[in-house]
Amino acid sequence: MGLQFDASPDEIKLFLEEAEEHLQLLEEDLVRLEKEKDNQELLQAIFRAAHTLKGSSATLGHQRMAQLTHGMENILDKVRKGQLSITTPIMDVLLEGLDFLKVLKEEIETLEESDVDLEKILGSLSKAAAGGQTASSAAEGKLATIPEGSTAVTEVAAAVQAAEPAVPSMALDWDEKDHVTRGKKQGKMAYSILVNLAETSEMLSVRALLTLMALRENGEIVKSIPSSEEIEREEATSVLHVALISDRAKDQIVHVLKELPDVVRVEAAPLDITREEAGASAPDGVTVAKTTVAANEQANAPLPKDETPGNGNGSAKIKDTKIAKVSRTVRVDVELLDNLMNLVGELVIDRTRLAQLLGALESKYDSNDLVEDLNRTSVHIGRVTTLLQEEIMKARMLPVESLFNKFPRMMRDLSQQAGKDIEFIMEGQETELDRSIIEEIGDPLIHLLRNAVDHAIEPPEERVAKGKKPQGYVKLSARHEENHIIISVKEDGRGIDPDKIRASAVKKGIITEEVARRLNDQEAINLIFASGLSTAAKVSEVSGRGVGMDVVRNNLEKVNGSVEIVTELGKGTEFIIKLPLTLAIIRALMVSVDSRVYAIPLGSVLETIRLTDGQIKEINKREAIVVRGRVLPLLRVKELFNHQTRGVRESGKTFVVVVNLGGQQMGLVVDSLIGEQEVVIKTLGKFIGDVQGVAGATILGDGSVALIVDVPSLVKKVVKVG
Amino acid sequence: MTEQVARVEEKQFVVFQLSKETYGVDIAKVWEIITMQPITKVPHTAEFIEGILNLRGRVIPVIDLRKRFGLPQDEFTRSTRIVVIEISGNTLGMIVDGVSEVLRISSDIVEAPPPAISNVDADYLEGVAKLEDRLIILLNLDKVLNKQEKIELENVG
Repeated sequence: MGLQFDASPDEIKLFLEEAEEHLQLLEEDLVRLEKEKDNQELLQAIFRAAHTLKGSSATLGHQRMAQLTHGMENILDKVRKGQLSITTPIMDVLLEGLDFLKVLKEEIETLEESDVDLEKILGSLSKAAAGGQTASSAAEGKLATIPEGSTAVTEVAAAVQAAEPAVPSMALDWDEKDHVTRGKKQGKMAYSILVNLAETSEMLSVRALLTLMALRENGEIVKSIPSSEEIEREEATSVLHVALISDRAKDQIVHVLKELPDVVRVEAAPLDITREEAGASAPDGVTVAKTTVAANEQANAPLPKDETPGNGNGSAKIKDTKIAKVSRTVRVDVELLDNLMNLVGELVIDRTRLAQLLGALESKYDSNDLVEDLNRTSVHIGRVTTLLQEEIMKARMLPVESLFNKFPRMMRDLSQQAGKDIEFIMEGQETELDRSIIEEIGDPLIHLLRNAVDHAIEPPEERVAKGKKPQGYVKLSARHEENHIIISVKEDGRGIDPDKIRASAVKKGIITEEVARRLNDQEAINLIFASGLSTAAKVSEVSGRGVGMDVVRNNLEKVNGSVEIVTELGKGTEFIIKLPLTLAIIRALMVSVDSRVYAIPLGSVLETIRLTDGQIKEINKREAIVVRGRVLPLLRVKELFNHQTRGVRESGKTFVVVVNLGGQQMGLVVDSLIGEQEVVIKTLGKFIGDVQGVAGATILGDGSVALIVDVPSLVKKVVKVG
Repeated sequence: MTEQVARVEEKQFVVFQLSKETYGVDIAKVWEIITMQPITKVPHTAEFIEGILNLRGRVIPVIDLRKRFGLPQDEFTRSTRIVVIEISGNTLGMIVDGVSEVLRISSDIVEAPPPAISNVDADYLEGVAKLEDRLIILLNLDKVLNKQEKIELENVG
C-alpha cells in the first residue's frame, strides 16, 4: 500500500535525517539506561528524543509513528516520575517499540506501508505502562476519558478559561497594524481569535497547523502566536492566538474552527489595533463581545484508550527547557563536500604545476623582480591550498562513534539470543574517518561482531570448564596509526584452529589436500576469507545473513583497506582492520612501463625488487620469481594493459613491485620506479565505466593523466587462475 | 501554420571536417574546442575510445570520431582538434580532423537524412544542411553515444 505524506521532499529528507539521529540516540541511551538505572539525566535525554520524534512524526502526518512514540513516551514518563522501575521486561518492550519505529521510519523512505502489527506493540506498551500505575491511576483514569464526555470537556475548557485571560492583546508591530488597516479599508473585519486545543492531543502541532490552514481559507492571517514556523519547529502550545482579516462574519469563522478535531474552545473578538483607531473601525463596538464555544461534538478524533494526560505536563516542561539555542553546526550535503574535495584536488594539481612552471621561468630569467614576485605568490598559494585541503578533509571526517553507536544494542540482543555472557567494550569512538569509508565498513564490522558472539565466545559452562572467566569479552576499538586508521575486533573466545580450516577447505574443494599441507598456519587461517568457507557447522539466525568473510574482505578492499587476523587457539582472536584516512587522496608508488606512468596505491605495496636476468622462472606455465624461499607469481603490467610496443624485451633493468592483499602476494613487473607521490583519485567516468585492473585515474604535476592500478582485482585474477 | 513558422529557425552549428565530409554539431552541446593533447590510453575499452585526458583538472574520456564512424584511419595533424561536448551529463572529447567555422543554419535548408550516407549510420544524423556549394551533415550527438552503446562499452571492460 502506498503512503503519502503532506510534506515537501525537503521536509521529508530533513525529517528522516533527524529521525535517524533520534532513533540512534534512543537506542544507545536505552541500552545504557539498563545499566545506569538511576541516571536521571540520561532518562531526560531519552524522554526528550522520544518526544521530539513524536512531535515531528505527527507534523509529517505519520500517525502510526506518532502513536507508537506516544506509547513509549508514556512508559518513560512513568519511569521518570518514579511510578515504574526499569526492569528487563520494560526495557524489552521499549526496545521492541524502537525496532517498530525504525520500520515505520523506513515507510517514509519507501512510501510503502509495512505490515507491522502496531496494535500488538501498542498493547504491550500500554500494558507495561499500566503495570506501574499506582495511586495516581485513578485520577488519570478519570482524565483519560476526556474526549468522550462533554462534561469533562467543559471542565477542561473552564479550567483553561480560568488560567487564560480572554483574548489577550496581540502586540502587533507597525507592519501588521498597517496590514489590518488596509484590510479594514477594503471593508473587511479584523478579528482576534483565541483557539484552545485539547492539551491531551497527541498531535498538537498538526492540530495547530490545521487550525491555521482553516483560518487561512477564511481570510488573511496577520499574525499568529505561535507562528506557523514555530509550530513546524514543534513549539506548538495548546493555545493558539491569531489576528485575522476576513470578510466573513465572526460566527461563521467560529463555527468553522469549532468543527476541527481537538478544538476545545474558540473565542473571537474584533481586533482593536490601536487606541487611536478604536471606535472608528471596529464595527461591533469597542467593547469586546466574547463568544465562548465549548466544542461539544469534537470527539471526531478519539484518542487511544491508554492515553494519559500526564505527558502533557511533561512536554510543557521540556519545551521550557528547550531554549532556542543557535547551533554551531550546519548540515551539508555529502555531494557538496565531494565537489569541494574535487575542486581542492584540482588546486593541488595546479599547485604542483605552478611550481614546475616557476622553476622553468627562474632558470630562464634568473632573478627578475617579476619572477621573484611570482615566486612569493606561488609559495603562498601553495600554503593556502595545503591548508584548504586539510580543512576540507577534516570536514569530511566523522567520528566512528556514529557507526559504533548501534553496536551495544546489537551485542546485547545477540548475546541474549545466543545465551552467552559477553561484556562488550568499545574504545576510541572519537577516532575520525572519512564518511564514505565509514559507510562501507558498517557491514563488515557487524559481521565480525556477530561471528564473535555466535562462534568465537563459548557458552559460560564451556568457558568455566576451560578454566576461563564465565563472562567473555568482545572489544571493538579504533585508533589512529601513522597514515591509517586501525579498527580492531578482539575477543577471548575459542580462537581459530588452522587444522580445522585446512580440513574444511579441502572438504569443500577450495584447495587440494596437497596444497593444504603446504600452507603455513597463517595462510591457512587466511583461508577463512575465501568464498564458500564457513567453519560453523550450523548457520544460526545471527550469522545467517548470507554475508561471508569473503564479503567482509571485499568490502574493506573497496575502500583500500585490509584485514589481518591474529589468533591463538583457546585464547581468542583479533581482527585488525587497516583503513586509509580518506578515499579521495592516496599515497602511491609511481612506476613507468613503456614510458607510461601508473600509480600503485602504497597501502598494498610491500617492497620493490630489482630483477636480474634469469631470475624469472616458469612455474605451472606462469611466470614467477622466488623471493626468500617463497614463490611469487608475476604479472607484467605491459601485458595486463595491452601495451602495443613491439619486440622490446627487458633490457636487464626491470623491477618487481610486490603487492600484498590479505596475505596473498604477487609481483607486478614494471620498467622503472619513479617515486612516491600523493595522488588525487578521479574516476574514469560513467562513459568508460569500470575497467578491470584500473581503480581510477589521477592527474600528474605535468598535467598528464596516469592510471591507478587496482591491486585487489589483479591479485584476485592471478589467484583465481593459479 | 505556427508550427511551420517555428521550424524556420536559425541554429548555430560548429562545423568540422572528418575524412572528406563536413559535419556540424549543435553549438549548445559544445563545451569548447581544444588542440590535440597527450591522451592516456585506457586498456580493455572499445577501440574507438582513444583514452582519457586532463581538461583543467577534470579527467574526461576522448573518442576518435573516425573510428567511431568506421572511417579510414589517418595520422593526427596540426589541424586535428578535440571538440569537447556535453551530453546527458557526461563531458567527453571527440577527435576531429579540423574545426573550420561556426555557421548559422536555418532549419528550412535542413533535410531529413538519406538512409545511408558516407558510412555513417543514419541513426546518428539529425539531417543534412544544403548550403549553396556544400552539404553539412548534422550530427545527433545523443545518438552518436546512445545508451545501448554505452552499456556495451561498459561491458567491454
